[in-house]
Amino acid sequence: MACLAKNIRAVTRQAALLRSYSIRPASIALKKWQRSQNELLERQNLSLTSNQIHRRYYSPDLIKPKLSTQEIETRVLKVCAAYDKVTADKLKLESHFINDLGLDSLDHVEVIMAMEDEFGFEIPDADAEKLLRPSDIVRYVADKEDIYE
Amino acid sequence: MASLPTGLVSHTRRVQSLYKKALRCLESWYDRREVYRYHAVLMRKRFDENKDIRDMRVAKDLIAQGEEEVFQKNHWHPRKFPESPGGVAYERVVIPPDWMVDHWHPLEKAQYPTYFAKREELKKKFVDEWTKKYGKPSPIAH
Repeated sequence: MACLAKNIRAVTRQAALLRSYSIRPASIALKKWQRSQNELLERQNLSLTSNQIHRRYYSPDLIKPKLSTQEIETRVLKVCAAYDKVTADKLKLESHFINDLGLDSLDHVEVIMAMEDEFGFEIPDADAEKLLRPSDIVRYVADKEDIYE
Repeated sequence: MASLPTGLVSHTRRVQSLYKKALRCLESWYDRREVYRYHAVLMRKRFDENKDIRDMRVAKDLIAQGEEEVFQKNHWHPRKFPESPGGVAYERVVIPPDWMVDHWHPLEKAQYPTYFAKREELKKKFVDEWTKKYGKPSPIAH
C-alpha cells in the first residue's frame, strides 16, 4: 500500500512539473520558424523565372517526358540483352531476332512482351509479327510516342 | 502498320497469340514476379512439348484446346496497360484528325504562314503522286 501511495505521489509530482512547463515559448518559437520559412519561400519565388512559376506539375511533359531516339535505342537494346537467350555480343540494332540471334517464334513473343512492359503500351499481334529487328521496335515505339527526328 | 483484317491467321501467329494470352493470364493471376516466372516457365514447357507436331489436324486440335483453356481460366480482372485498348486511360486524350486543320478560319491560318505554305505544298505533292499511281479520278456523281 505504501508503495502504491509513493508511486501516486511520484506521478502527481511529475504532472505538476509538466503543468508548470508553459507551452507558450514553444508556440512562439514555432511561429517564428514558420515566418522564417515563409520568407525563405518568398525569396526563392523572386529568384524563379516566370516560366518556372507557371510550370504545372501535372503537365504531360513532366509526368511522361518525351524520349529521344537514342534513349529508345538504348532501352530497346537493354531489354533485348536482358533476355537470356540473346547473346549480348551478337546483338546490334540491325540484327534479326530469328535469323541472326537464333530465337524461335515463342521467344520473339517474350521479347515483344518485355518491350510492352518496358514502354507501357500494348503491341497488337498483327504489328508484333513485323517487328523482327530491334531497329523496327525503335521505329514503332517512336511512331507510337510521336517522336520524330 | 495496319493490315487488312482478313481473318486469315497463320498457324504460327495463332500459337504466338495463344502463348501471349496465356502468359498475360498467368501474369494477372500471379502478381508476384518470381511466382509468375515459375508458372511461365512451366507454360513454356507445355508449348515446347508439342513443338514438333507435323500433323496439322492434331496441332489445330491442340490449339483449340489451348484457347478454350485460356478462356476458362481467364482472370476476372486482367491487367491492362492504361493507354491501350481496355485500359483505364484508353482514348482519354482525343487527338483531332489531321484534316481538321484544313477547316481553320483563314485568319487563324494566317497566324502560321510557313506551316500552311508547306502544308499546301505537301498536299499538292500527295495529289500528284496519287494521280500518277491510280490515274485521273473518274467523275462519279455522288
